[in-house]
Amino acid sequence: MSDLIQQLNSALARAAETADASLVQVSNGWRGQGSGIVVHPEGLILTNGHVMRRDEVKATLPDGRILPARLLARYEDHDLALLRVDASDLPALPLGSSKALRAGEWVLALGYPWGVPGAATAGVVIGVGDGLPERPNFGSEWLAVDLHLRPGDSGGPMVNAAGELVGVNTVMAGPDVGLAIPVDVVKRFMKQALQAESKAA
Amino acid sequence: MSDVLATLSNELAAVVENTGRSVVRVEARRRLPASGVVWSNDGLIVTAHHVVHWDENIRVGVGAETFPAALVGRDPSTDLAVLRAEGIRLPAAAWETPDDLRVGHLALALGRPGRSVQATFGIVSALGEGWRSPAGGLIDRYLQTDVVMYPGFSGGPLVDALGNVRGVNSSALMRGVSLAVPTSTVSRVVEALLEHGYIRRGYLGVGAQPARLPEAIAEKLGQETGLLLVSVEKGSPAEQGGLVMGDTIVGLGGERVRHLDDLMALLGGDAVGQERAVRVLRGGGLAEVTVVIGERE
Repeated sequence: MSDLIQQLNSALARAAETADASLVQVSNGWRGQGSGIVVHPEGLILTNGHVMRRDEVKATLPDGRILPARLLARYEDHDLALLRVDASDLPALPLGSSKALRAGEWVLALGYPWGVPGAATAGVVIGVGDGLPERPNFGSEWLAVDLHLRPGDSGGPMVNAAGELVGVNTVMAGPDVGLAIPVDVVKRFMKQALQAESKAA
Repeated sequence: MSDVLATLSNELAAVVENTGRSVVRVEARRRLPASGVVWSNDGLIVTAHHVVHWDENIRVGVGAETFPAALVGRDPSTDLAVLRAEGIRLPAAAWETPDDLRVGHLALALGRPGRSVQATFGIVSALGEGWRSPAGGLIDRYLQTDVVMYPGFSGGPLVDALGNVRGVNSSALMRGVSLAVPTSTVSRVVEALLEHGYIRRGYLGVGAQPARLPEAIAEKLGQETGLLLVSVEKGSPAEQGGLVMGDTIVGLGGERVRHLDDLMALLGGDAVGQERAVRVLRGGGLAEVTVVIGERE
């Protein structure tokens, strides 16, 4: 029994480490800050739209470098933003599938809650999709999880037990339920944003 | 990462999926539907009393489909209601008493306020002896968890790690803590509702309000307040037992009566027909009368 709990502890720690390796802090000057996720080795960072109060921000990369990040695209209805930093060979987080998520599955959320670097919290999937009660007046699809997101967690990764990105930490619904934007929405957004960029180029 | 975390995660999801087949959506109020659990294969469904606002036109559903359901009965004191679904065959949940649960055991709360089953997760936080709900219901065991009660989860099952249903969750039984009505109590209430359609409640026949006791009496009894009788119904058990307007009830059946909740808790179905000693403050001194508790219509 204690063996099992030790195994569980180290597995949780490993999943948290995987997500932490791709975690970015996004800073809007001296006030607002949030989290971000490395989604491509060539400097692509995903965060919440509401974290981006301006088009130029500072991103603290997983290796500690602080680089300017430029806004590439916004997904207005879904509170998502894609940024680019001038860096390569970054550890990108593998994208999972939110459609494959089942109620009761274990997930972890990482971020900079109250500015604490890489703090993790865990819970299970309550439900995913468009049929959830209590939800904000923006966005249409959500991933509801029984964990607490805090200021600074916004834009950070939510990963499954395999360490794959399944959502982007976004907002609380009531006192005890965290909402993330499902990764399937993220995939649609990234595809659109990158197509638009290559067209422009 | 085929490790214990992934295994646990998959098994939890499998428990939700399996047990979720016995969890229905209960549409018996405006706005948000709530949840119910299938009690037996003949269509009986247990839900929470406080989510069933209507007595008619109730529907239950799984997925997109809904079916009519009749209200068999309700028990506000334990916050349970029983429905009978028509035109649908649903598998009964695996009901187990919580007797072998221990503090620290894993627990899931399931609900289906929408189309698909939803879940929250936690541990058994506290277990205790039987207790009286604020509404006077006798609940066989105190069963508290730290699962989040998501909107619409009331009436859904509290499930153990193996998928057995140990009780019915209610967010209204006591605000701010996640409590479940244990299966043994559910069983008792279902049987009573099937037999009578309602739960028996004791009846005294008084109007009362809490009143502060004189200092000397308060010190002697170890309680600050009692219940001042502002009316006594004609022909009621209270009148027949000799209670009069102006009496202040301070005890019943050897238990303290400080406010209305105390009195309500002492007038459960088990008190009906029983003789009870009622201790009152009358004319500055303590007196005792005997009342035979009646049954509330």
